[in-house]
Amino acid sequence: MILEFLISAVGLGALYALLTIGVALLFGVLGLMNFAYGEIVMAGAFAMYLFRDQPWFVALLMAIVFAVVVALLSERLAFHPLRNADPVTLMIASFAVSLAIQSLARMTVLPRTRGVPPEDFLSHRVDLLGADVSVLDLLTLALCGAMLVAVAWMMGRTSLGIQLRAAAEDFQMASSLGVRANLVIPSAFVTVGVLAAIGSAVLVARQGAVSADMGLQPMLIGVVGAVLGGMSSLKGAALGGFLLGAATALLESLLPTDLIAFRDAFLFSALIVVLVVRPQGLLSGAKVRVS
Amino acid sequence: MVLRIDDAYIQYGASVMAVQGCSLHVAEGELVSLIGQNGAGKSTLVKAVMGQVPLHGGTITVDNRSVTDRTFSTVRNRISHVPEDRGIFASLTVGENLRLGGITRKDKSALAADLERELERFPVLRKYWSRGASLLSGGEQQQLAIARALLLKPRLLLLDEPTLGLAPIIVDLIFDVVVQLRQEGMTILLVEQNAVRSLEVSDRSYVLQAPGKVLGSGSAAELGKLPAVVEYLGFSAAEVGVAR
Repeated sequence: MILEFLISAVGLGALYALLTIGVALLFGVLGLMNFAYGEIVMAGAFAMYLFRDQPWFVALLMAIVFAVVVALLSERLAFHPLRNADPVTLMIASFAVSLAIQSLARMTVLPRTRGVPPEDFLSHRVDLLGADVSVLDLLTLALCGAMLVAVAWMMGRTSLGIQLRAAAEDFQMASSLGVRANLVIPSAFVTVGVLAAIGSAVLVARQGAVSADMGLQPMLIGVVGAVLGGMSSLKGAALGGFLLGAATALLESLLPTDLIAFRDAFLFSALIVVLVVRPQGLLSGAKVRVS
Repeated sequence: MVLRIDDAYIQYGASVMAVQGCSLHVAEGELVSLIGQNGAGKSTLVKAVMGQVPLHGGTITVDNRSVTDRTFSTVRNRISHVPEDRGIFASLTVGENLRLGGITRKDKSALAADLERELERFPVLRKYWSRGASLLSGGEQQQLAIARALLLKPRLLLLDEPTLGLAPIIVDLIFDVVVQLRQEGMTILLVEQNAVRSLEVSDRSYVLQAPGKVLGSGSAAELGKLPAVVEYLGFSAAEVGVAR
């Protein structure tokens, strides 16, 4: 029972951490609170629906392609021309991009919610050290955990990762050292696209459906988790997302059935308490570029 | 001439004039200091050279290329700027900060040799190579900022208040390094409030008065003969003890 809960909580925490890193990375590099992040997740989810008859990993690869393309297109068409705009303008632009993509999806490919039957193997349960664990929970943990390890490796061990971290902390200083905006900004959007795609694959598997407005919840999770952990710190954002996911799983296990519907009220009350004590977030550095 | 500023005007917002008609130049291999009180416009001028604040009048050129020119970025990549707040990336280690210093360089073997030289110049950086930069003291962070700036192999080094808030022993170290760099032939614009030490080490100095007007310029001895400068700084060249 405890192992089952732990796998579920850590898996959900890892999923939420992926979503928050996506939000915090763009905030750090561009000063952009990207409300269109949810639509990048939706693009990945749509690919999971479109390629539902293909093997699961093929659908996953296509989800990555779709999400990265939407992320890069939003950068090229909307955010690139506004690169030197103030954060409020960028934020409003991201609202516009979010609504535009959502409306486009609703008018064309997703006029209504589409069911995506879960893969057979995802509905199985396996015996793990005596605990009855769902394959879906294991997959969530393995996929999101592996992705977090890959992101940590990329950020810590590669030149691009170091440049991304530096740009996320202080873009102007990074730029004056020769870190090229034309390299780090599109790279950040590609990274965000990949993270969103992995998140979308897990969300589709858990929810069994795809809709034009399905990006709202992951976007909110990303923003709230990043604020909780600290917007100016990628590690902080990951921690914030992880804690948010783990707390969600904990509340789902502990709350009486008639209170489950109010789970988010408990969750966000706790968030307010944390932010009252540490308004800068749990691990935030000193530098936040948005005034 | 490496750096030339002609009749520069810089304004913050609609009405705050930070720099008003400032002109100065730095020749190749020269150590020039820019001294003046808080709010005199020194750091603003440096930011304008880096293209971080817009110019409202006049010109700034580096190697005869204007900062407003579209092709200036190629020149800017050869200017190292150590800002007043040091610009250290707190979430990166010392080693990662230094790695960023040479990010634009293609000559990797020469870069490795330069890194070794900077680690000899600042041994504390070798000692704390894997430590998070946020854990360094102010003096150690300043050494990291200067070492990182030098790894760019700059054509022009802009040092903005490098000794601000540091212990006297570290102030001595920083000025020793500045003199060393001057002897190695580096072109340096040093922004300082510590007028006495700056006058001692510089080839020439500009005394700036708010809002960014040059009150006087020249060697320490020449400045000491200007009554307005002596009155503004509160001491004369004789008191500086210079005999350059």
